[in-house]
Amino acid sequence: MQVSASSFAQKITLNQKGITIESLFREISKQTGYSVFYSDKKIDQNRKIDAHFKDTPLEEVLNVSFKDQPVKFTISDQSVLIERKEPTFLERLANRWASIDASGRVVDSENHPLPGASVKVKKTGKGVSTDVNGKFFLRGVEEGAVLIVSFIGYLPKEVNASANMGNVVLEQSLSKLDEVQVIAYGTTTRRLSTGNVTTIKADVIEKQPVNNPLLALQGRVPGLFIEQSSGLSGGGVKVRIQGQNSIRNGNDPFYVIDGIPYISQLLPSASYIGSPLNGGSPMNFINTADIESIDILKDADATAIYGSRAANGAILITTKKGKAGDIKVDLNVQSGFGKVGKQLDLLNTQQYLSMRHEALKNDNLSVSPTDYDLNGQWDSTRYTDWQKELIGGTSKYQDFQGSVSGGSTTTQFLFGAGYHRETAVFPGDFADTKGSAKLSVNSNSKNQKFKFQASVSYLIDNNHLPNYDQTGFAVQYAPDAPALYNADGSLNWSPDEAGNTTFDNPLAYFYRKYNNKTTNLMANTYLGYQLLPGLDLKSTFGYTNLQTNELNTIPQLSFMPEYLPYNFRGAYWGNSNVNSWNIEPQLTYNKYIAKGKLDILIGTTFQQRNNHSLGLSGSQQISDAVLEDFKSALVVNVSSTLEETYKYNALFGRLNYIWSDKYILNINARRDGSSRFGSANQFHNFGSVAGAWIFSEEKFIKNALDFISFGKLKASYGTTGNDQIGEYQFLSTYIPINSTNPYQGISGLKPRNIANPNVAWEETKKMQGGIDLGFLKDRVIFNATYSFNQSSNQLIDYPLPSFAGFSLVTLNLPATVRNSGWEFSLSTTNIDKNDFIWKSNFNLTVQRNKLLSFQGLDQSSYANDYFIGKPITVQRIYHSLGVNPETGVYQFLGLGGNSTSTPNPFTDQTVFVDTRPIFYGGVQNSISYKGFDLDFLFQFVKQKAFGNHFGYSPGSYFVNQPISVLSRWQKPGDQSNIQRFNSDLSLDQAAAKASRSDANWTDASYIKLKNLSISWQLPKRLKNMLELENCKLYVQGENLYSITKYDGLDPETKSLSSLPPLRVVTFGVKISL
Amino acid sequence: MKKKIWSIALNLTLKDTNCKAVILWVTLLSLSLYGCKKFIEVEPPVTSINSANVYNTDVTAASVLTGIYTDISEGFSSGGVASMTLFPALSSDELTLYGGVTSSATTFVPYYTNSLTGLNVQAHSSIIYSTIYTINSAIEGLTKSNRLTFSLKQQLLGEAKFMRGFCYFYLANIYGDVPLVLTTDYKINSVIAKSPKSLVYAQIITDLIDAKGLLSEKYLNGDAMTAYVPGAEERLRPTKWAATALLARIYLYNKNWSDAERETTSVINQSSLYRMTDLAKTFLKNNLEAIWQLQPVTKGFDTEAARTFVLPSSGPGTLSGRYFYLSKDLMDSFEPNDLRAKTWINSVTVKGITYYYPFKYKVIDPNADISEYTVVLRLAEQYLIRAEARIQQGHIGDGISDLNIIRDRASAKIPGEVKLPQLSISLGKDDALKAILHERQVELFMEWGHRWFDLKRMGQVDEVMSKVTKVKGGIWNTNWQLYPFTLLDLKYDPNLIQNVGY
Repeated sequence: MQVSASSFAQKITLNQKGITIESLFREISKQTGYSVFYSDKKIDQNRKIDAHFKDTPLEEVLNVSFKDQPVKFTISDQSVLIERKEPTFLERLANRWASIDASGRVVDSENHPLPGASVKVKKTGKGVSTDVNGKFFLRGVEEGAVLIVSFIGYLPKEVNASANMGNVVLEQSLSKLDEVQVIAYGTTTRRLSTGNVTTIKADVIEKQPVNNPLLALQGRVPGLFIEQSSGLSGGGVKVRIQGQNSIRNGNDPFYVIDGIPYISQLLPSASYIGSPLNGGSPMNFINTADIESIDILKDADATAIYGSRAANGAILITTKKGKAGDIKVDLNVQSGFGKVGKQLDLLNTQQYLSMRHEALKNDNLSVSPTDYDLNGQWDSTRYTDWQKELIGGTSKYQDFQGSVSGGSTTTQFLFGAGYHRETAVFPGDFADTKGSAKLSVNSNSKNQKFKFQASVSYLIDNNHLPNYDQTGFAVQYAPDAPALYNADGSLNWSPDEAGNTTFDNPLAYFYRKYNNKTTNLMANTYLGYQLLPGLDLKSTFGYTNLQTNELNTIPQLSFMPEYLPYNFRGAYWGNSNVNSWNIEPQLTYNKYIAKGKLDILIGTTFQQRNNHSLGLSGSQQISDAVLEDFKSALVVNVSSTLEETYKYNALFGRLNYIWSDKYILNINARRDGSSRFGSANQFHNFGSVAGAWIFSEEKFIKNALDFISFGKLKASYGTTGNDQIGEYQFLSTYIPINSTNPYQGISGLKPRNIANPNVAWEETKKMQGGIDLGFLKDRVIFNATYSFNQSSNQLIDYPLPSFAGFSLVTLNLPATVRNSGWEFSLSTTNIDKNDFIWKSNFNLTVQRNKLLSFQGLDQSSYANDYFIGKPITVQRIYHSLGVNPETGVYQFLGLGGNSTSTPNPFTDQTVFVDTRPIFYGGVQNSISYKGFDLDFLFQFVKQKAFGNHFGYSPGSYFVNQPISVLSRWQKPGDQSNIQRFNSDLSLDQAAAKASRSDANWTDASYIKLKNLSISWQLPKRLKNMLELENCKLYVQGENLYSITKYDGLDPETKSLSSLPPLRVVTFGVKISL
Repeated sequence: MKKKIWSIALNLTLKDTNCKAVILWVTLLSLSLYGCKKFIEVEPPVTSINSANVYNTDVTAASVLTGIYTDISEGFSSGGVASMTLFPALSSDELTLYGGVTSSATTFVPYYTNSLTGLNVQAHSSIIYSTIYTINSAIEGLTKSNRLTFSLKQQLLGEAKFMRGFCYFYLANIYGDVPLVLTTDYKINSVIAKSPKSLVYAQIITDLIDAKGLLSEKYLNGDAMTAYVPGAEERLRPTKWAATALLARIYLYNKNWSDAERETTSVINQSSLYRMTDLAKTFLKNNLEAIWQLQPVTKGFDTEAARTFVLPSSGPGTLSGRYFYLSKDLMDSFEPNDLRAKTWINSVTVKGITYYYPFKYKVIDPNADISEYTVVLRLAEQYLIRAEARIQQGHIGDGISDLNIIRDRASAKIPGEVKLPQLSISLGKDDALKAILHERQVELFMEWGHRWFDLKRMGQVDEVMSKVTKVKGGIWNTNWQLYPFTLLDLKYDPNLIQNVGY
């Protein structure tokens, strides 16, 4: 300590603990009359000392107070000047080994601060996290010690500690392990995550010309099985995460969009006639192009914090946000076409007619006046390919997307708009058109303490379809059926002499139209404020409003002439609305404690959803032209009304502690209350514990197995719940009976349901273990996860015999279902040389399902549907014994080993088959060379299903058949697998049972070239010439090719009556200005 | 572990936190804990009435019973209210199915050819038992309620018991032994076994006797309290006389002749209320013969019977949805000069083939005002019941006189036209009983399954049907006189035993 001032007899008396330097200076001035000069930038005036001075000279006071501080002071002229001491060479040398206070700022490559980044002393593990401005201040570090600076999504960096370190720039990590994953109420990375989460980013989604974002996930996510139930645009999509937990009620995941819950099922169609969309999917009303990432949360660790709503996993959608920088304009235009990929091989006219004749002959019947296809009523030389006629059209695909984004470091915005249109493959004017707009704004105060985000999106969908999916007709109409039109352009009903219609003209059904207009408004706001370093208060506010207006029309034109006196034209309206609001205030706290980082979250949820629907019907309008005007209906009727409220409240918390970047502990808890249950069962607790060990950080691994660049073992256990039953199941209520001509002028009342006041949650316990491995600097990343989930207290709509008055009652069943499975994924960078990059992804899921217990199963209505020890997706079917060579009739294994042609449905369905996929997955490759990119995905599913081998009771009806029926039995002694053609319906039942026998249970496995995308990035020179920031031309295809032995229309829909997913090819260009 | 870290976190937070944050933490926590319970309570939906208060006011309580008639008028048995007429008529010798065995109306083929199975039978029980559920909940609710006008409570209980008897009558005649459901408790009803038919009838009789005591003698308005001005009654709510008339039928079916005669006489004696009408008026709304009728409840629709059975000029057609016409057996059973064959039957001729169809209900014009109501109970049946009861008791002359009242109505009134002859009062008992069966056939054809039930209860079913079924393309077996239960009912009710032969 150098003292350059001469000493005076200035004395200080002061006795105070924890006095700040600033106060001390004030005291010195007071007692000595000296002024104290210092720079508050150099001296930490808030530092506290304990002052115990009694008549102590000023100099000594200063010496004691600034002991060990790099400070020198000068006392002169009644003033004290305090300055930072510049160290001498020797001191500097000494200081290298002494401790200093290191400070600096962590930024990304664009100089944006990275708040919350971690700065740690490598040797001691001591660390801090950066403040909102990215600044850190690490006290008492050895000068030159190695500091590890790290942040989610960035490569960690090692720097040497010094007093003023300036900016520490972190580079974004390109390792898949460091990609940001969105989890419930936060983010993490695959590296640090304890849960089972898969993330799909916008770059993958935008390669796929799909109309529902869920379809972009098909074949890409282990543990997630997605099946399209119809190829109609806007059709239903089945989504299962890690199998089917619930026997009956609600196996849909929980959807969250930008932190706000979104419905997982639409309200049932409010129109009396209903919708051809097979349930529809609420995700159809999200613009796929707005999505930045989709995160699929599977295990208890990832989902327990969502409590009762996430037993079936959660799907989190994050939409695009603006980024700081110059204004950026992005345009993406694509157009293309879609077709049904496969036609069934059906009988031609000649084969069909000889089948019908043979069928009559077999039953000693002659051609009757009603056998129009044979008796000359229909022209037997005609041939119509009804598949081509009714579903063979080309769907036109158009999609335009544009966005403008940009902003400053404090405020960023993004405005996007989209237009999407797909026409149908049916004859007639059918199309699904969507238009959408989205605006999002992010803002923060200059000191970064206050944060604000808001986004609003609005989508309008206008879907025109026929009232019913006509695919079933297309594969069934007789090939010699008459022409669709008469010479005068009117519909041909092919009337017989008496004027009776003989041909159920399919075009009439295309006159019956379904129109669905849906608008979806989603608004959400986020407010956050940093109360203290590490302590943040924030809240999300969300509002969604999904409005659906449906209309079915039945014009007079669509009736057979005979019907005209009895049937009226009519129209059916359905208006439904789901609106909900959601508020979730949260407090988060993070702090470095000992060698680890602690994150705590605590929050509460208030949610309310209101369902409303109104079904109206009107008939006897004066003309088909005014059908759509409600006012023109002579008879009007309210066919249904629905008013429901769902309220939900919860308290939740999470604790996450990461010790030395090696050991991670994550605990979630939630207390849930839902209005769906009676007062005895409204509340329930859910929670999870998870741990992970990043063993690759251990020295002994690093030394011994240096080819392992990353290794993590993780395990979790927890509970989640399922409350997916309708509202008010616990309430016993009466509803008005709706009649247009009330009985005695009085509106009647009747009971609505059998109420069950004791209905409660279904609970799913989930256990999960997994390993993540990275090799060769993460060029190869492998994951294997084993999951073991058990759902008990099964919530079901228990079917009742008719004697109970209602067909079902909602109750909790003492049954337990187990889903266990293995998920594997492998990502590799095969080649990364110069301009040539080849990457592959592979995933595989093997899922098992088992009904573990079911108390009183044999006494319940499920005695014939479920079997302990077998999957809940199991079905019992007949065992086929082929065709009896003597009688030519199908025979089956009957009771006591006998063969029978009339097996008993209760006792003789002895073969168990499982409709569940045995395994599924995908293989994706992306290859890029200079500006060219090629990306393709093969999706595979191993499964079985009923095939189409036996046709539909060949010979009995005017129904065409697959060519496989030609090998039928013809005479005694014939060995055949198809029974004799039959016309008097006596073999109808045998035919139906053969279709439900193991002989028809066929391999429906498939490998689909699900997606192919080829793109070309214009070279820089060309882009500069065109003054474009970026320009890409591309070709994309969906469902391009299937390899399958399945003989039905499509192994995904496994149906002969719904339109298969279309094969779509599009061409497009993507431009950034 | 969890606790420790929590306390560390809390300490740390509190140590370097100012008041502001503490207050926020506390407020947030207490808000959510307090808010929970209150927040998630929901009011019952506005689209419904709570079962707790539906029987607390006169208007809503009456609406429940009105709801039952509305429901029945829309559907009974399986399908519309006419299905209780249609299916038995197909199973017996009344109707021919267009296309016969090979008819494309596959729902009806097994009924027509008497080849039902648990798989192809319609769920007759489901609509009736759903009505019984409402009735049982009404009986439970009304009995408990002490806030209704006394006379209303009596009337509604009477209506409910009448309706329960009515429902079980049809169940017992469709299925034979049936589960006797008398509560709304699904735990009991979902595992219920069949009760013998005799026990079911005993319950029907108890219910109807109760109903007789409770129901008003006068036809009541929609409020189930005020009576109509005499002469302007809407015969739409069951009265004491409806209960009596049905009770007479029940006694008859149980061969309790004297009670049947007594009950039916007390109805016939109400001559100010009930009189035989012209054939042309029997099915008009509120005609004097009607004891209980059901009002069509869909605007633009008249009776379902007319919409189901009246044939268009193109005749029955596979695609026109009109599959039924009257059988040759029925047409042949009419005596010459029976006006019922002219007034209650109509025909259409297509390609030289004449198809006869029931024409009791005539109106299908959607724009016409409703002039016909579905008749459930009418006076003619009471005369037929009394005739049979009297003959069975040996009072053949009295019985024949009752029969002759019916025949007289079906006979020409215009002088010069040939009359339908009156029957001799000196017939032997067997001939007299044959005359009863015949008269019931031609009077009550295509009404509520009378013919099918008569054949069964009078022991004629095997003799008649073994011929008829053969012609229709099936094979008769005495087991087919009872319909089977659906496979679903068998599946969901472990204690239900299928009817013999199925």
